[in-house]
Order: sequence, then structure tokens, then C-alpha cells
Amino acid sequence: MPLRLAIRIAHSFGVLSRLLRQGSGVMVGGRILLKLVPDAVHKLSKNRKVVLISGTNGKSTTTALIAQALSTKSLVASNSTGANLFAGLAFALSQNTSAPVAVLEVDEMVVPWAIAQTNPHLVVLLNLGRDQLDRLSEVRVVAQKWREVLRNLPASCAVLADADDPFVAWASMASVNVIWFTSGVHGHMDASTCPECGDILNWQNEGASYSCNCGFKKPNPEWILRGNTLLGPRNREIKITSAIPGKAALSNAARAVVASQYFGVDGDAAAKTISLITSVDGRFGALQIGQTKFRLMLSKNPASWRETLATSAEGPLNVLLFVNANTQDGKDTSWMWDVDFSPLQGRSVFVTGDRRLDLSARLTVSGINHRVVSNQLAASTTIGACDADLIASYTAFHRLAKGVKKS
Amino acid sequence: MTLTLVHLLPELLGTYGDRGNVEIASWRLRERGIKHDVLTVGIGDSIPTTADLYFLGGGEDDAQIKACQIVGTSLAKAVNNGAHVFAVCAGFQLLGTTFPASGGRTVEGLGIVPIETVSAKTRSVGEILSKPSIPIATLTGFENHAGQTRFLDELQPLGVVTNGIGNGLDTNIDGLVTEQIVGTYMHGPALARNPELADWILSRVIGDLVPLRAEVFNELHNERVNSVK
Repeated sequence: MPLRLAIRIAHSFGVLSRLLRQGSGVMVGGRILLKLVPDAVHKLSKNRKVVLISGTNGKSTTTALIAQALSTKSLVASNSTGANLFAGLAFALSQNTSAPVAVLEVDEMVVPWAIAQTNPHLVVLLNLGRDQLDRLSEVRVVAQKWREVLRNLPASCAVLADADDPFVAWASMASVNVIWFTSGVHGHMDASTCPECGDILNWQNEGASYSCNCGFKKPNPEWILRGNTLLGPRNREIKITSAIPGKAALSNAARAVVASQYFGVDGDAAAKTISLITSVDGRFGALQIGQTKFRLMLSKNPASWRETLATSAEGPLNVLLFVNANTQDGKDTSWMWDVDFSPLQGRSVFVTGDRRLDLSARLTVSGINHRVVSNQLAASTTIGACDADLIASYTAFHRLAKGVKKS
Repeated sequence: MTLTLVHLLPELLGTYGDRGNVEIASWRLRERGIKHDVLTVGIGDSIPTTADLYFLGGGEDDAQIKACQIVGTSLAKAVNNGAHVFAVCAGFQLLGTTFPASGGRTVEGLGIVPIETVSAKTRSVGEILSKPSIPIATLTGFENHAGQTRFLDELQPLGVVTNGIGNGLDTNIDGLVTEQIVGTYMHGPALARNPELADWILSRVIGDLVPLRAEVFNELHNERVNSVK
């Protein structure tokens, strides 16, 4: 079937799905498109500069920041709804066929397929950490899959890789054209052993660097984020600020600046554009529930909880934790015991969601006073007309984020 | 003499929130006013052989092999000295004679109990429920393992599985219980969901315990059991 016709059919189904309130139409449209034209992603990527973004945490935000920065120079196609599997990529590319640039968030396991289909200009790899182990692979398995595909990348494709993360570093070392980045993250909870040989990985300088007897070691970064300054080759210095709170947001902003420069956008101009973005797909958006104004935050695995709890600690006194364990959240709640909840000490903590009892037991053992409530409204009734943070796991977050978009 | 709990190699054996079991055991002692130390043994630390209760958690292949090399004979010595052990998932497998690793390898275990683990065709993932062989309430947990475990001698399982896989290999049992050792495939916070198991293990180490009012753990236990039934 001709591609154009297939796109029209797919989009019609997407519209229908929206009208019938079956979803955003992205998944349905994308699936139909791939059914009708199995190599649609390949065809739609031709004559375009494609950047792929992947990693356990930060991919939606980094994708949005890069897309925004590049859109100051050209039209950009992007999967801004976070649909990062096969259908999501197909639909994003089909929506804006005249855009010469595509910025695509890609699920970790879909990276090999996305690279083969899109022939990208740049691949941005953020981090790899434990995440929903009941349905996703162990970290090492993902790193191995990345390494195999990156080994065969042509030199025309660069990889912007995080040198702080031993798994990202090991996978990326296999490719010929790597731009190494560091934001000074210390240590890695899944990297006690070397990704190369399995021996104990030696962490030095309080976790700032790593090496192994086999020769594997932290690569020398050419872009370094130190505080709010991004230091680059030839003494380049770019001021990085982010309206999105937190350390991770700042390093995502810095990575987005490096990526934008690679696409020919001036670094300072990109940094300015990026600094103005306040919320990505509901993250850190304002949500009114009852009298309470919540700031909505997403946390989905130990690394993202650590980051979110640190960011939230500087926020309001009241905080509601909302944890489910549906398929997309991961059905296993063991991860809670890998999270240090001590930043909640002294705050007014509320707990809800399908797995509130798991979380309540967890907080009890850590000596953190909290109240278990039946839902967010019940929390709001107690909190009243105050600001509060709402930290939610994946499915709860996405349901609540719809409220952010409307407000 | 103060009671000592040892958390063995959490960097290697701690993929599924396994530190939770140590924290819960320590909390249950603390709430009762029972003095104790928690000793976390990291890579490069010497492993004591005279402590009272050792915890081993789950881990990936390379980490499991490394942990086995590091532990060496020290845990067997501790058991000979009268120590108790609570071992979960990869930690449970380690206690046996052999366990499987990537690339079809078979690795020699610590040889503390007569069990062997072989790789299975499909991974066992999901809620697990079992009827315990010891006088405590139904056991509830979450399992996620590629290996399945066979008894090489007559041994007492921890439970008879009513939902899930457990030790597998066409048996319907999970884990094992000896005079000093409890092993299970219920990973991560098994002691959070099973407060009676936690107290049963602790009472084997220090004798009778006064009851503890900690309703949230009982509620969690009942909720998880009922979610599967």
C-alpha cells in the first residue's frame, strides 16, 4: 500500500479512537500504520535527521527539551506524548512528514530496532538502572543489546553518552563516534561488577570514577556539567539553567544543549530556549484537587525516587505518595526497599494508591510518620488550602497528569 | 552478649530490595527493646564467622558468582559455629552444591545444604503463595528467578506452593528449612509481607518473643494473600 494512503487510514483510526475516548489515538494509529506498511518508520525517516533518546530515566524530558531547542531552527517531529514503542515512533513520524528533523524518545529495548529503522544522526543515551524487573530485563542484558547495535553504527552517527554510568559507557564504547558527557553522578547501585568481565568494579574518588583490572574504565568526558556551567571543547562555557526543578533536570538540559549544538543550533541560544520549559507532559505541573494545589511528580524506580525525593525535600511540607503496581508500574513492589525515604523525615506524609500498605510498612520500618489515606481527595481534605507535592508511580501519574493538561 | 545480624554483600546480593529483610528484622527487635547490632559486610570487608543471623539476598549472574567467591568458606564456618541464615533467591541458590550462570555454565556453590539449582526454560515471575511447613500463617511473596532448585537429600521445604512456582522442577514446594537455615524464592521484602515468618526466624535465634503490635504488617499480609486467592 502507498505510504500516504496508509498514513491517512492510520490517522483516521487515531481520530476515531479519540472520539470514542479510547485513548490518544497514537497507539491505534501507529499500529495500523505498521500493519499496512511494516517499514513505515524506515520510509518516514529517509531524508530526515533523526535523534533518538533512550535510558531508564529522563528520556521524556530530554526529548522535549531537544525538540524545543531544535524547533527554533526547523520543523520537528517528535513523540511528545511519551509513546516510545514501535507504534509510537511510527505515529510521531507520520504526523509531521515535512519536518526535516525528528526527535524521538525510544524505550530501552526498542533502541536496536529504532537505530536499524531510522539511520539516526545522533543517539542520546542517558543512563541504565534497575526498573520494573518483573517485566523488563536485567540492566546487563539491556547494556549488551545496546552494545551489539552500537558496534555497527556508521561514523556518521554520533552517540552522546553518559560517562558516569558504567553500563551506558560500556555499551557506547563499541561505537566509533562518541561524545562523552558527565554531570558528576557518583556511584551506581547496579554496577558493583564490571560490565566487561564480571569482576568487581573498582569505584574511586567517592564514586566519581570507576575502573576494572581488565582495562575497562570511565571514559574522559568532553562535555562536563559543573554546577550550572557546561564546559565543552575549546574552552566553551555555557550557562545552564532549568525551570524544571532538580539535579537530573539540569543535566538533561545540559545534554539537550550538547545535542542541539550537534544539530547546528548555537549552544547559548539552545540553553536559553531550554531554560524556559517548566513542565514536560505533566511532570512538575500544577494539579488542583479539592482545596490543595499539588505539584505532580513522577517516580518509577529506585533512581527516580531518589531524585524526586531530593527535589521534593526543598518543596512544601505536605507530600502525598501514590503507588500502584499495575503492569506499567511493575507488579513487584520490592524496589521500595531500595529507596532511601529518609528525605521525608519531618514532613507531613500521606500515602495512597493500590499498594499503600506496602509503602506504609516500608515507611514504618524507616520511622517515618505518615497517614494512609484512601485516595488523593482524602489527602486533600486533611491538607486543605495548601501547596503539596504529589509523587506518583507511572499509572497514577499518567491518570493525574490529564488533570494538569486541562488546568 | 549482643545479638549480631549480618547483611552479606548487599552490593552484589540486593537486586530486589533485599536489604528490606535485614531492616525489618532489626526493626522488630528494636520495637521489643532487644539490643542488637547490624553488620553490613561489603566487598573487601572480612566476613565474621561468629555472628548470630546472616541474610543473603538475590542478584544477577555475575554478582552471584562473585558473591560465592567472596563468601568462600566463611558462611559454612559461621553455620558450624551455630549461626542462623535467611537466604533469598540467588542467595538461596548459593547455599547449594551448584547453580547455573550465563552461557550454560554450572558454578560450584557454597555447599552448605544438599540442593542444586539448574536453569529452567522459562523464568518464574509473579506472586507466590504457599502453605508453610512451620506453624505460621500462609506465606506470600513475589518471585523472579531463572533457576529451579532440586533437593539432593530428604529436606523440609519452607512451604507447599498453592500459587506460583517456587523451587520448580515439577515439585510444588518453595524454599527449605533446616535447624539453622531458611531459604526461599520469595524475594525482596518477604519479611514485610510475612511478619510471622520474621518472628519465627528471630525466635529460633533468641528464644520466645513478646507479641508486637504492628498492624500494618498483618494488613499487608492479608491483603497480599487475598489478592491471589
